Amino acid sequence: MRTRFACLMIVASALGVSVWAQEPAAAGASAPAGRGPAAPAGPTPRLADGKPDLNGLLNGGPSSQDISLNLMAGEQIVLTPAADKLMKGRRPKDDPEANCLPAGVPRMAPYPWRIVQQATHVFILFEANIHSYRQIFMDGRPHTPEANRWPSWYGDSVGTWDGDTLVVDTVGFNDRFWFDAKGHPHTDQLHTIERYTRKDRGTLVVETTIIDPGAYNKPFKIGYTARYAPKDDLMEYICAENNQDVTHITTSTP
Amino acid sequence: MRLTMQVKLGVVAAGLGLLLGALPAVAHHSFAAEYDEKKPVKVTGIVRKVEWTNPHSRMYVDVKDDNGTVTVWNFEFGSPNHLFRAGWSRNTVKEGDQITVEGWAAKDGTHLAQTRQVILADGRKVPGFAGGGDSGGAPNQ
Repeated sequence: MRTRFACLMIVASALGVSVWAQEPAAAGASAPAGRGPAAPAGPTPRLADGKPDLNGLLNGGPSSQDISLNLMAGEQIVLTPAADKLMKGRRPKDDPEANCLPAGVPRMAPYPWRIVQQATHVFILFEANIHSYRQIFMDGRPHTPEANRWPSWYGDSVGTWDGDTLVVDTVGFNDRFWFDAKGHPHTDQLHTIERYTRKDRGTLVVETTIIDPGAYNKPFKIGYTARYAPKDDLMEYICAENNQDVTHITTSTP
Repeated sequence: MRLTMQVKLGVVAAGLGLLLGALPAVAHHSFAAEYDEKKPVKVTGIVRKVEWTNPHSRMYVDVKDDNGTVTVWNFEFGSPNHLFRAGWSRNTVKEGDQITVEGWAAKDGTHLAQTRQVILADGRKVPGFAGGGDSGGAPNQ
């Protein structure tokens, strides 16, 4: 039973909603109509050009606390000695995410996000941390030349289709964000390859390869499943408006 | 507004959380880095101020001791986004309301606590961190 309870809590948490929120309206709950965790059923929707339609609001992402929880089968995180030392020296109060800076890639705060898919661009709109977006160029262009970009939080992303999977290749990151609250680091050599596959109407499977010879002795893959929540909408989330936490964080470990 | 079933589920959820030792893993900072699970707090007072803000909602509660001295407690809640999605509204707790709040005090010794649940004046219980946990999407293994 413990296991089942644990699963229930983890699922509820993964969906970004509480068990409390799932009480049906028929019982007199005051939860706004239409909001809830139920993902729609049915086959993968498609656009007029035959490509999978990835548009929609989603819940789910890799663990913001510990990215190793999302390692794919057989994968390992092998830090370089320098990265290992850097990670061990990190303190929770210095986590950029706790300081309302962007989560970067692949980290995501446990809030809804939305894919906006166009022929020329795909945008990922984040409700939270921070209230920002990623821009993925779909027009076939190569990466922006290094001389014309500077190290950035979300990097320089270009997308292509591999069958029904959207493949997003990103370089040009800064080294400032952490992969998780534990402080898994990276360098500006970071290169991510994300594969987004809408398995059915309600399910988006994401696999991300992390390549960073500056911090890891070998690439590793993480994965997570996100759920579409078509009846929910993004809400405003301005993290810096009232962030009191960091001044009260005193420990050396998360 | 009838919250009876919600309250029951809320209590069950909170109970499960305690059973599993699953203290709220707050979105943008870890629970244990700021709060002490060994320092439970339960106080009753008057809500001085409500802040519907991110990254956390906050309620400042005037708590009077036996000598009449008032201490202002700063209770951290889930973000308004999480709370509203879970069924909270701006009417659930208002300034001037008497509430009892249960939570865990900050490690730094200030009158700051993370909220586990609120007991409203009419006895209804509502969780303070609905959906505020880590996303933790399951790996594809």
